Amino acid sequence: MSTAAKEPRQPSILADMGLSRISAIAAVIIVASAVQSTILSYATILGVIPQLVLVVVLCLAFTDGSRVGLVCGFFAGLLQDLQLPEGSVIGLYALVYTLVGYAVGQIREFTPAESVWTPVFTVTAATAIVEGSYATLAIMLGQEWVSIGFTAKVIGLVVLYNTLLTPLVFPLVKKVADRFRPERVYRW
Amino acid sequence: MYRRNGRGRLLLLVFIALSIVVITLDFRQGEGGPLGRAKEISVAVVAPIQRGLTTIFRPVGNFFASVGELGSLRSDNAELKARLEAIEQEVREAEALKNDFAALSRLSELDEPWTSGDFVNAQVIGTSPSNYRWARFIDKGSEDGIRKNMAVVNADGLVGKVISVTRGDALVLLLIDPKAAAGARIENRRDTGKIQGNGEDQGLSLDLIGSNSEVFEADEVVTSGQDGVFPAGIPIGLVDRITGDVRRPDQQIVVEPWVDFTGLDYVRVLLDGPVVAAGERRSR
Repeated sequence: MSTAAKEPRQPSILADMGLSRISAIAAVIIVASAVQSTILSYATILGVIPQLVLVVVLCLAFTDGSRVGLVCGFFAGLLQDLQLPEGSVIGLYALVYTLVGYAVGQIREFTPAESVWTPVFTVTAATAIVEGSYATLAIMLGQEWVSIGFTAKVIGLVVLYNTLLTPLVFPLVKKVADRFRPERVYRW
Repeated sequence: MYRRNGRGRLLLLVFIALSIVVITLDFRQGEGGPLGRAKEISVAVVAPIQRGLTTIFRPVGNFFASVGELGSLRSDNAELKARLEAIEQEVREAEALKNDFAALSRLSELDEPWTSGDFVNAQVIGTSPSNYRWARFIDKGSEDGIRKNMAVVNADGLVGKVISVTRGDALVLLLIDPKAAAGARIENRRDTGKIQGNGEDQGLSLDLIGSNSEVFEADEVVTSGQDGVFPAGIPIGLVDRITGDVRRPDQQIVVEPWVDFTGLDYVRVLLDGPVVAAGERRSR
């Protein structure tokens, strides 16, 4: 009680965001998930589907910081987990996306803010780390897996495809994030 | 500053813990449970958007057919341009309709012993979002009589089986998924075994239980009807290559499937279950 009285309490993440903003971001994630499983599953590169939902999470973490990044990462990852057939480890995308959402939010404070290339390179590196750790953890948790060679090919192509999508996705996500930003901006 | 960081870290720990709770729940529960319910909700949220996008992506309809008729007050040029656009649009629509018609008529002309009985034709509306699992969402569900573990085929042969159903949609696990398997045998030979998926482009692998008969390249592989899921005699594919000795357990038989799993559009769900196997059991 006494600690709360001493310093001004930082508003909770819900108060930071506001209901319209939460709905807008949720809508973006849900639409991204549907686009990933329909249009992008026809427009593959050598049969590999890009991870559009991950790109959206990374862009959100980049524009809004680690707290928004990790919460969006968790829910977007969980949505993706729940679309998978049984035999996949449910909760693994949620875990990995939470961690990467937080990490990207932390890193962006040390990057040149106005460069167009920073989000692109961030997505390249983060996608490689996410795809690699997802595969490693899924194998460790005993999921039936395809060959390592195939996995390597998938990771390489997903990194490439996600990188190519970022210049298209980042401005859109930034627009939605800025459009619904509340008047008072808290830096965190 | 210190306090702010602490708060972000606390939030991080909370959500890591939540993820691990979900993973643990997934490992401990069998069917249904809270995650089963969450799955149904998430599919119910995304499936309508998937349907919409699939419809837009394969345009059927004639919204633009009347555009050319509005041109009477405009200059000839504009009218002709509009007409040309309308005609081009119609040609595109006709093309899409022709493709749909070809796929559907192939499916409806399908008249093989393994599709006798009740069935439902369904359109593929979405894909599993992961690159390591092979599954498709279809636009028919429990309302249309689809249940878990029903066999799914198309005009080429075995596609897979239904692994989860909601009211209006179902998820089909494709035969090429590493978790998928079916009872199989070489046509006209006695030995039965199991066919398993290896992911895309890798072919299927066939494990024969007895190895009394020899296997040759280009042998036909069909379902055996002994797994309680797939009716007997559904074509799976051709033996592509064989490595190792027939009598040794390390022998590997790679089967090239008939079905083009990347281009699936319409499929047929067999509502009756393994007809032949059930008949055999009854006659004994």
